[in-house]
Amino acid sequence: MSTRKASLKDKESKNGTSKYVLERCASVNEYFDIAFKVMLLGDSAVGKTCLLVRFKDGAFLGGNFIATVGIDFRNKVVTVDNVKVKLQIWDTAGQERFRSVTHAYYRDAQALLLLYDITSKSSFDNIRAWLTEIHEYAQKDVVIMLLGNKSDMAAERVIKREEGEKLAKEYGVPFMETSAKTGVNVELAFLAVAKDLKHRTAQQPNEPKFQIHDYIESQKQKSSCCGGNM
Amino acid sequence: MAGDVHNKGVSWEVQQNGTLAPVDRLREDRSESPTPGLVEGTEPGAGQKSAMFVHSQSFEDLTADSEVSTETHPEGDCALGEAGEEALCLAAKEKIQIELQPEVEEEVRPESRSKEEDVGSEVWRSRRKHVFVLSEAGKPIYTRYGTEEALSSTMGVMMALVSVVEADKNIIRSIHADGYKVVFLRKSPLVLVGVSRTCQSDRQLSRELQYIYYQIVSLLTLTQLNHIFQHKQNYDLRRLLAGSEHLTDNLLRLLDRDPGLLLSAVTCLPLASSTRDIVSSSLQAAKAKNLVFSILLAGDRLVTLLRKKDQSLHHMDLHLLFNLVGSSSSFREGEGWTPICLPKFNTAGFFHAHISYLEPASDLCLILVSTDREDFFNLSDCKSRFLERLNRRNAYQALKEALKCPSYSTAQVGIPELRHFLYKSKSSGLYTSPELPLPYQSEEEQERLMGLYQHLHSRLHHSTRPLRSIYQCGETENLIAWVTSGFELYLCFSPLGTKAQAVAAVVKLLKWIRKEEDRLFVLNPLTY
Repeated sequence: MSTRKASLKDKESKNGTSKYVLERCASVNEYFDIAFKVMLLGDSAVGKTCLLVRFKDGAFLGGNFIATVGIDFRNKVVTVDNVKVKLQIWDTAGQERFRSVTHAYYRDAQALLLLYDITSKSSFDNIRAWLTEIHEYAQKDVVIMLLGNKSDMAAERVIKREEGEKLAKEYGVPFMETSAKTGVNVELAFLAVAKDLKHRTAQQPNEPKFQIHDYIESQKQKSSCCGGNM
Repeated sequence: MAGDVHNKGVSWEVQQNGTLAPVDRLREDRSESPTPGLVEGTEPGAGQKSAMFVHSQSFEDLTADSEVSTETHPEGDCALGEAGEEALCLAAKEKIQIELQPEVEEEVRPESRSKEEDVGSEVWRSRRKHVFVLSEAGKPIYTRYGTEEALSSTMGVMMALVSVVEADKNIIRSIHADGYKVVFLRKSPLVLVGVSRTCQSDRQLSRELQYIYYQIVSLLTLTQLNHIFQHKQNYDLRRLLAGSEHLTDNLLRLLDRDPGLLLSAVTCLPLASSTRDIVSSSLQAAKAKNLVFSILLAGDRLVTLLRKKDQSLHHMDLHLLFNLVGSSSSFREGEGWTPICLPKFNTAGFFHAHISYLEPASDLCLILVSTDREDFFNLSDCKSRFLERLNRRNAYQALKEALKCPSYSTAQVGIPELRHFLYKSKSSGLYTSPELPLPYQSEEEQERLMGLYQHLHSRLHHSTRPLRSIYQCGETENLIAWVTSGFELYLCFSPLGTKAQAVAAVVKLLKWIRKEEDRLFVLNPLTY
C-alpha cells in the first residue's frame, strides 16, 4: 500500500516522529491528503462491524450475527476542514482467540474506538480490561474514544449513560452513545477522531489545540431525545 | 479477557517439521487414450510437474492415522463382533471394536428425552446426522443441533461410555442399534461423537468427525488445545471457540453435499489453459519472503494454487480454507487477516492468511498464506501487484468471462443416458464433475445422490474387501464406479440404460476428459 503513495513533505519535526506525515496519494480510486489508522475494539457482538458498515456504507447489517474473522481492513476517505483524510479502519474480532493477532496491530493505530454494548453488562465491565490492554500495547499518544453502542435498544438497556460518562471521565477519554441501527452519532465518532488526528498533524504553533471533548459535546445527539431514557 | 490462555508458552511460528514434500514425478509422455491398466500420473488431469497437494494416494492414507482396520461389518449389519474377530483385533493393536447390545444404547436415549423440549423434541431426534464434541471431562463443546447446555448430561453419558470401555483397555468405536450408528472418535483432549441414520459406513462417519476435529484445531492449534486442558481439565472450550460455530455447521453441510470432501480432492474453474497459466505466473510474480501459499478461488472452485518450493498443501487443509472463506461474508468488503493453523501441515503453529475478494461483487477470492503475523501490508501489496499484472496481461477480463460459466452440463460429454459423474485424478488430487442435472437439483435429491456416491465409495475403499469396480442398478438410477491406480470414477445413468452401455460410456467419458483436461484441471502447477 505505502509504496504507491508519494510523501510530499515530511511534517516539520513533531515529537520527532515520522508517523504523522502529510501524504498526497494518487491511488486508483480516491485522492487523499492524510491517512490515519483507526482500530475498532471491544467484546464480541457489541456491534463493531455494524458501526463500521453504518459509517462506510450508511447501511445497517440486520439479521444474523456474523462474527468477524481475525481483522478486517477497510478504507474510507472523509473531508475534514477541506482536507481529505483517509481513515484506514481495522475492524477486529472480539473473540478471545484473536487477541494475540490484534495486539500485533495496536501499535500502528493512531486512534482507537472502544465499544461496549449498553444492553450487556459484561461488555461494559470488560472496558477496564480493554483499557489496560490498550495502555500496554498501543502508542502513548493514541486517541481513544469510548462508545456505548446499541443506544436504540432502550428497552434492554442495562448500562445507564451516566455510567459510561463516569467511566470515560475516570480515564479521561471522550464518550458518547451510538446506534449503528439508527446511525445516531456514528458519523460523529469517526469524524471527531479524524478532526483530532488532522489537527495534531497540521497544528500551527499559534493555533489552539483541538478540543475533542468540547467538539463532541457540541455535536452529539443525546440518545434520550430520540429513544427515551430508561 | 481475564483468562488470556492463548499465546502463553505457545509458539506462534510454524516450525519446519511440517515439511511435507510431494513425490516428484515427471511426465513427458501422456498416453493418448486411457486404458484400464493405466498407471498413476498419466491419467487425464494429472499434473505435468510435481503435485500441488500432499501426495495422498487414496482415502486410506487420509484415515490411516487414526483408523485401525478392524471394521469388518458390512453395511447395515448390526451383529456383535465375533470372538475370532476380536482376537484378531487384539492381536493387531489391542483395540477392539465394541458393538454394544441395543439395551445399553437404550440407556443413552431416555437421558436426552428428559431434557428441555428443544433437544428432546421429535424434530431434534429425527435429524439425520448429529455431531457432538466434548472434552475429556465430559464438558459440551459443540452440538450440531440444539444447545450445548441442554445436552450436558447426554454428553456426560457419552464420556462415561468412552471411559467404561477404556477402563478395560479397549476403545469404543461404534454402536449400531435401531437403525442408528453412533460413532466415537477419541482425539485427546477431545472426544467426538456422530449419531447417524444415513447409510454411510462407520469409517466415513469417523472421517467426517476427523474433519470436525481438524476444524477445531485449525482455530486453536493442537499445542494450544493441549496446553489449555493440561492446565484446566474442565475448561469450557466454547469460550475460545465463540463465533466459530457457523464454521463447523457449514463444514458439516459441505460433508453432506460436496463430493470434493468425499473424494479428498478439489475441483477447478473451467478455464482456457493459456489464461490459467497467465493467472498462475502473475501470482508467482507477486511473491513475498514469508509467503507459503497463494490460492485463487472462484466460489468453491480452484482457479490456481501457488506454493513455496518443496511445500505442499493437504486437501483437507485446503477444504478448511474453503470452508473459512465460504462461511464468512466479512471478507467481501475489506481485506481480512486471520491466524489459521493448517493441521495437516503442522498442528503446532499458526499461519496467517490474507483473505480478500478481487472485487466486492466478484466470486474471485484470493488467499495469501504467510508465516509472519506482521505480514499484512506485505501481502496486501502482493495482492495489488497481482491485480496490476493480471490487468496488464488482459487476463482479468478473460477470467471474469470464465466466471460466467463456472460449470458445464453433462450434455457436453455427448452420452445421452449419462446423468452425472465424478472423476478424480489421483496424482493431481483434482476432480471434475458437471453441474447437477434436473432430477438432482433439490437439496434432498442432491444429498440422496451424494449418499449413493458415498455408498459406492465405501464399497470401493472397503478396508477388508475393497472392490475395483461396481455396477449398481436402482429404481431411479444406475450407477457404476471404478477405481484404478490413476483415477477414481463414478457415473450415474438413467435407470433405463444397460450395463453394456455403461461400460461403453466409461471409455467415452475418459476420452472426453482427456480432450478437455487442459480446461478442467490445473496441469501446470507453479511454485515460487
